[in-house]
Amino acid sequence: MRFPRHVDIDFSEFSPENGNPSPRYGLRQDIQFCRKCVISNQRPSSEVEFRHNIATRKVTIVFDEDGICDACRVAELKHGEVDWEERRRRLVELCDRHRSKTGDYDCLVPGSGGKDSFYAAHVLKHEYGMHPLTVTWAPHIYTEWGWRNFQSWIHAGVDNYLLTPNGRVHRLLTRLAVENLYHPFQPFILGQKNVAPKMAEKMGIPLVFYGEHEAEYGNPRADFESPLRDRQYYASEQSAGMMFGGVSVEELIADFGLEKQDFIPYMPADPTRLSEAGIEIHYLGYYLKWHPQSCYYYAVDHGGFEAAPERTPGTYSKYNSIDDRIDDLHYYTTHIKFGIGRATYDAAQEIRSRDITREEGVALVRRFDGEYPDRFERENFEYMSLPPDEFPKAAAHFEQPIMDREYFLHLADRFRSPHLWVLDGNDWKLRKTVWNESSQ
Amino acid sequence: MTGVVIADYGVGNIFSVYHAFEAVGADATVTTDPALLRSADRLVIPGVGDFSNCMERLSRLGFRDEMLAFIQTGRPLLGICVGMQMLFETSAENGPTPGLGLIPGDVVRVPEAGVDGVRLKLPNTGWCSIDPPAPDTWRGSVLADLKPGDAMYFMHSYVPDVHDPADVLATLSFHGHRLTAAVRRDNLTGVQFHPERSARTGLSLLARFAAI
Amino acid sequence: MERIEPIEAGGKSLRLVARLDVKGPNLIKGIHLEGLRVIGDPGEHARRYYEQGCDELIYMDAVASLYGRNNLLDIVRDTARHCFVPITVGGGIRSEEDADALLRSGADKVAVNTAATERPALISALANRFGSQAVVLSVEAKRRPGTAGKQWEALTNNGRDHSGRDVVAWASEAIALGAGEILVTSVDQEGTRKGFDVDLMTAVCDAVNVPVIASGGMGSMADLAALTRAASVDGVAIADMLHYKRATFDDIRAACNASAVPVRQVA
Repeated sequence: MRFPRHVDIDFSEFSPENGNPSPRYGLRQDIQFCRKCVISNQRPSSEVEFRHNIATRKVTIVFDEDGICDACRVAELKHGEVDWEERRRRLVELCDRHRSKTGDYDCLVPGSGGKDSFYAAHVLKHEYGMHPLTVTWAPHIYTEWGWRNFQSWIHAGVDNYLLTPNGRVHRLLTRLAVENLYHPFQPFILGQKNVAPKMAEKMGIPLVFYGEHEAEYGNPRADFESPLRDRQYYASEQSAGMMFGGVSVEELIADFGLEKQDFIPYMPADPTRLSEAGIEIHYLGYYLKWHPQSCYYYAVDHGGFEAAPERTPGTYSKYNSIDDRIDDLHYYTTHIKFGIGRATYDAAQEIRSRDITREEGVALVRRFDGEYPDRFERENFEYMSLPPDEFPKAAAHFEQPIMDREYFLHLADRFRSPHLWVLDGNDWKLRKTVWNESSQ
Repeated sequence: MTGVVIADYGVGNIFSVYHAFEAVGADATVTTDPALLRSADRLVIPGVGDFSNCMERLSRLGFRDEMLAFIQTGRPLLGICVGMQMLFETSAENGPTPGLGLIPGDVVRVPEAGVDGVRLKLPNTGWCSIDPPAPDTWRGSVLADLKPGDAMYFMHSYVPDVHDPADVLATLSFHGHRLTAAVRRDNLTGVQFHPERSARTGLSLLARFAAI
Repeated sequence: MERIEPIEAGGKSLRLVARLDVKGPNLIKGIHLEGLRVIGDPGEHARRYYEQGCDELIYMDAVASLYGRNNLLDIVRDTARHCFVPITVGGGIRSEEDADALLRSGADKVAVNTAATERPALISALANRFGSQAVVLSVEAKRRPGTAGKQWEALTNNGRDHSGRDVVAWASEAIALGAGEILVTSVDQEGTRKGFDVDLMTAVCDAVNVPVIASGGMGSMADLAALTRAASVDGVAIADMLHYKRATFDDIRAACNASAVPVRQVA
């Protein structure tokens, strides 16, 4: 049985007495929190998801010798050295070069209709005179307000292609990603990075604009020197060795009832075809000083964007990434694997944007991080369940194809790293937290 | 201006009363020591909340007798809100509860319906226009700088029913009823409203009081 | 100067209240209580509104629940030294001691929300100790989906959590426990400049017999006129219009006079 419902865990590794707990995932043994924001040095950088398996060793965010993370250093540049006037000129020049004179789309804006993509598409159209086509890679499960915001985006005045993957395939990959990587969001991330470049190539729109530069939230700082996303994340020559949900393509075909066409939405782009078509993936955040909170205000003013009616579990925010119910689980799993929950991510970003102080960020993390997301639990578990009548081949590999809380929480324990977690009686606690930096 | 002593017997927004007097240039002191009342040039008795609670504290903390002694000297006293209500004979709040009996009349509940029968909201909270009972009434009083119809801030469910019309210094119109807003009898001045919360009109009253 | 007669022969005017939401040292403002932007120094703004002739001030500590306490003592004290209109303070008030500290520092009223929904007896404790006139129930109301905008849920924690309580029922309960006033904030409308939730305000006014202050959504004077025509509110709390300098109290008062909404006359 490939996926037993229970695997014995050696809890002694998590004992408070274990003075030398070993880190998993290639994470650093020592845990440190940025002096300026609240992120920890365990934060993994972006993964090349289509080659991601359990043995993958994580590259984590860099802290310099002053104990300050790369993202904060980038923020300092943003608020200081960067000549935004010069960057804006480069954007104008880029747009001038691409602006269509023949009545065609001249740029592609991937997004969900969230505050950031709303801003990106709208500002490109109205301030820079471009003719964007927006493209959306569907969330696993839309929230009501997420769908409404998506519609508001379109009705504020953009064309849009919505690509929704085969529901059965997407669910299977989600379940596999959870089992093998404790990473339910992987199928979404695959499309998020791949769909736009491939669409751009198919539609003959060479210029693609993502929003916020990933160096701003912790990818390698050197990346901030370029407006372009590193190709390795969305394009690949070799089709050999590709994995989805931590399972190779060959095995997925042989054992899980999939066929080659099922992978079309998830495959990285062909770099040769991208080069020939002159596809360029830019971050708009390289040219325009990005402030997510201002994007919120912009989206409300120009398109009637609505914040969620309630805060997302695990954080205080009501407007960050609110369109996918599975998102609730994503941050729960990052908390389990890396000790970093959603409040940490949100607070770190707001500290760098100077919207909140570190003191407040710490208090927010303490209060909200790692909160169990029960609001969409039933739907999310149904989504990740593989009833045999729907998944005849795949379900056979699972001792318990139907997911429930007990299963999910037991899985969590199998993915905890002893260097992050200590088991105190029946309570799991982080060995080190941002609000109490001395080790347990 | 001479000194104003504000009695702190544990009720009332002492902080605001003090700073309001300071803002008009008066030399104000807050005291929890009743003995200091003897040497005061002017005395302010604040008060909010329950009438019987205020009366009880006034006595228990030793302020009552000192206050009565002060009044005998003829020097000016200003009672604010319940501080004014206590000058009367009784209050209907949790009562009848006895007051100090210095001004003839009783404190009664504000009418719960207008003259047209419409049910009203209590406490009466907010800015209300006050008027003199006769055109010249305010001359030489703490309200000398005001015009009829100027507004003061009220926050109360009880109001005095004054027996001697000559004691009425100001009234307010309340849904067709005319209620007493301020009283004056000899060296006693009492206001139902809160001058320390009534912006410029209130501050002018406090300035006048400090200058009597 | 001629005095304008108020509509009702009551002599009482609509209270024009300046509402300041504070986070740490900053005056802030959001939309739907989200995306809290720093506006500036709270005390400075309060003083300006007092000088412009506001009738009252409300301070709400927007992060009080996060730290488990109200942090506005210094700001309140400073404001009470310079601004001589009633001051209501809310946010993180969980006990009589919390309320006492604020009332001693210049607050006239304390507003409770989160702690009261968890422990309604707090309301009676405060009312018994300080008097009903000093106790305000603060309600953050959000429309319940599927009720055609006729039912609302009370949120807590600066609009972040659910209490499960129906706003109208909760308001009635709180008044019975001794609250002397209600501040109703529409989470749906606040920060949007699209007008008040008139149905909400009407529903609350119909249910209780204490003063009601409406908060959330004022975009223009027409919104205020529409509200007062429909609901017997006793006051309006204004934030966005003031903080973004779209109007001063003089403008607002003049507009009220022009549309026969009774307000205090300021010389």
